Amino acid sequence: MRSSGGCAVHRHQVLRISVADEAQVQKVKELEDLEHLQLDFWRGPAQPGSPIDVRVPFPSIQAVKIFLEAHGIEYTIMIEDVQSLLDEEQEQMLAFQARASSTDNFNYATYHSLEEIYDFIDLLVAENPKLVSKLQIGSSYEGRPLYVLKFSTGGKNRPAIWIDTGIHSREWVTQASGVWFAKKIVQDCGQDPAITAVLDSLDIFLEIVTNPDGFAYTHSTNRLWRKTRSRTSGSLCVGADPNRNWDAGFGLAGASSSPCSETYHGKSANSEVEVKSIVDFVKDHGNIKAFISIHSYSQLLLYPYGYKKAAVADQKELDEVAKSAVAALTSLYGTKFQYGSIYTTIYQASGSSIDWAYNQGIKYSFSFELRDTGRNGFLLPASQIIPTAEETWLALQTILEYTLNHPY
Amino acid sequence: MQPRRPPPPAPGPPRPAAPLLALPLLLLAVQGAAAPAGPEAAEWRPDTGPPHGLLRQAARAALHFLNFRAGSPSALRVLAAVQEGRARINAKKECTVDLVFTTERYNSEEGEESLGKCSARVFFRNRKPRPAVNVTCARLMEKTKRQQEDYRLYKQMKQLRNPLDGVSIPDSHGHIDPSLRPVWELAFLGSSYVMWEKTTRFLHYYMAQLSGVKQWETNDGAIDFDYTVLLHEFSTQEIIPCRIHLVWSPGKPLTVKYHCQELLAPEDASGTEEGSAVAPTELSNF
Repeated sequence: MRSSGGCAVHRHQVLRISVADEAQVQKVKELEDLEHLQLDFWRGPAQPGSPIDVRVPFPSIQAVKIFLEAHGIEYTIMIEDVQSLLDEEQEQMLAFQARASSTDNFNYATYHSLEEIYDFIDLLVAENPKLVSKLQIGSSYEGRPLYVLKFSTGGKNRPAIWIDTGIHSREWVTQASGVWFAKKIVQDCGQDPAITAVLDSLDIFLEIVTNPDGFAYTHSTNRLWRKTRSRTSGSLCVGADPNRNWDAGFGLAGASSSPCSETYHGKSANSEVEVKSIVDFVKDHGNIKAFISIHSYSQLLLYPYGYKKAAVADQKELDEVAKSAVAALTSLYGTKFQYGSIYTTIYQASGSSIDWAYNQGIKYSFSFELRDTGRNGFLLPASQIIPTAEETWLALQTILEYTLNHPY
Repeated sequence: MQPRRPPPPAPGPPRPAAPLLALPLLLLAVQGAAAPAGPEAAEWRPDTGPPHGLLRQAARAALHFLNFRAGSPSALRVLAAVQEGRARINAKKECTVDLVFTTERYNSEEGEESLGKCSARVFFRNRKPRPAVNVTCARLMEKTKRQQEDYRLYKQMKQLRNPLDGVSIPDSHGHIDPSLRPVWELAFLGSSYVMWEKTTRFLHYYMAQLSGVKQWETNDGAIDFDYTVLLHEFSTQEIIPCRIHLVWSPGKPLTVKYHCQELLAPEDASGTEEGSAVAPTELSNF
């Protein structure tokens, strides 16, 4: 009996067992008592004629089938894999519903509201309870929960990778890609050797809507809103730039001290609760090994610093990683990316997330700017969501694997 | 400390579009295509700060100017790649950039492969806007085809009735209804003038969204188009609404008037920029 561990934990089959007589009922009850099999009876053993439905984790499947067959107990496999899907009838029914009932009929090729994304998160967790959990790391300025998805195959406080999307609310392709990444991780776990290897040793934390107040505002009022929605006393202007609010070169050149500016750094470092929540989480965790913030647009892969020109100590290594990540990305659709430090590649920017993360000792800190280069800008057509997410994933995977293979 | 900002524009009558310079272009191949931003040539002194993709900056300025001057909404170009270039900076921090770049059609169809090559000299006067541009491009479209496309666009626009109030183009999902594409392209043409005028060594613009169409008439065979556009300035990340009024008919020079709202910090006087221009009557050789 091999130990249940790694991605195998989240793959299951659901069996429907038909018991012919009381003796067979008893046999199935014996099976129920074997705790190490971790069987989950949806419809427990009762009497002959009543079907018994049981969800069987992957590592136990072999053993259970052998047991049933040895005792002449009939069974059918109800759902080949609970991740896979719905029959025709249900699909048709769902076509009339606005709301996805599973992450397999969720529409990844369109932009979604905050509510839809939060529903998606709950669905994903419900479908993959052993692999995925939802953490609330805080609440936004206007009281919306800040949710982080944790992907873990076990262990205790394993080294981990942090990914955030949507810190700037108008960059809609990033939240949409975050949703796609979440599903991708679940699909690849146990299927793709690279991600399976990553999840065998590391955890992944993914915050899809890092700025929910701003995101709600882009839906309700101003599609091009960037900042948080915090109120500044003494000013009519609202919001601070959450990517100028981190405690790394805070307030230096590369951010604005005017509350009306799009790059207003905020009252003080970590004044924005959306930022503080991540800072507290990362510090409390203490074992984050890579920190990746995702933005749009410009098609860039950036590493620290933004607040000063000086190269980071690990510049050479980060540059190599960026180079291979970009090569992986470009290999899919030919999308061209530039890479380099924030300061030399894009502009001087102080108080940015990855500068802070790097100074905390998180060596593999990167920031992405996804499609495009200005033709559509923030209003990237929805038809480009999936290609963008697919190519970006290849770059992310490169970074994840590198982090796995270069512990520090 | 405030980020870099341009000084307010000088008052006075608006300048017409910069005249074509008669200087021959000096182009020396210096480095390969698509390198990450870095110092470009021996003359470039890095003491003024990061290069900020100087070649791409120059290419964008050249393209805005080219698009406006060509006056053809069906032949709009965007930057494909910078191929080579060099830059010189003088004691007054004025910067001359010579470069070669490739372009593609702004409204290119799926799989369409047209890469027109351009060479340009762009002169940035320190932080001042309205860079002087001399640009020459290989033909992207046959002249007759371009004229036909323009005329087709013109006819489509004439047929559009005016229920365009409250319409944002594109919508929040980045979608532009095919029937409204001509509107977008004409708006982009007018915006090109505005974006060229506002571009400096450090500031560059994209057209983010057409947020309002006020008026739309066709008098004397021309299209009289009054609209509001949201420009996205990259280094400050600001969104700048501009009211633009243009008059266009195929084959004729474009006239543009505009008024942009500058949403600056309280310490800067809230300013508005105005400008207008008529494109020169001769067309560039492309």
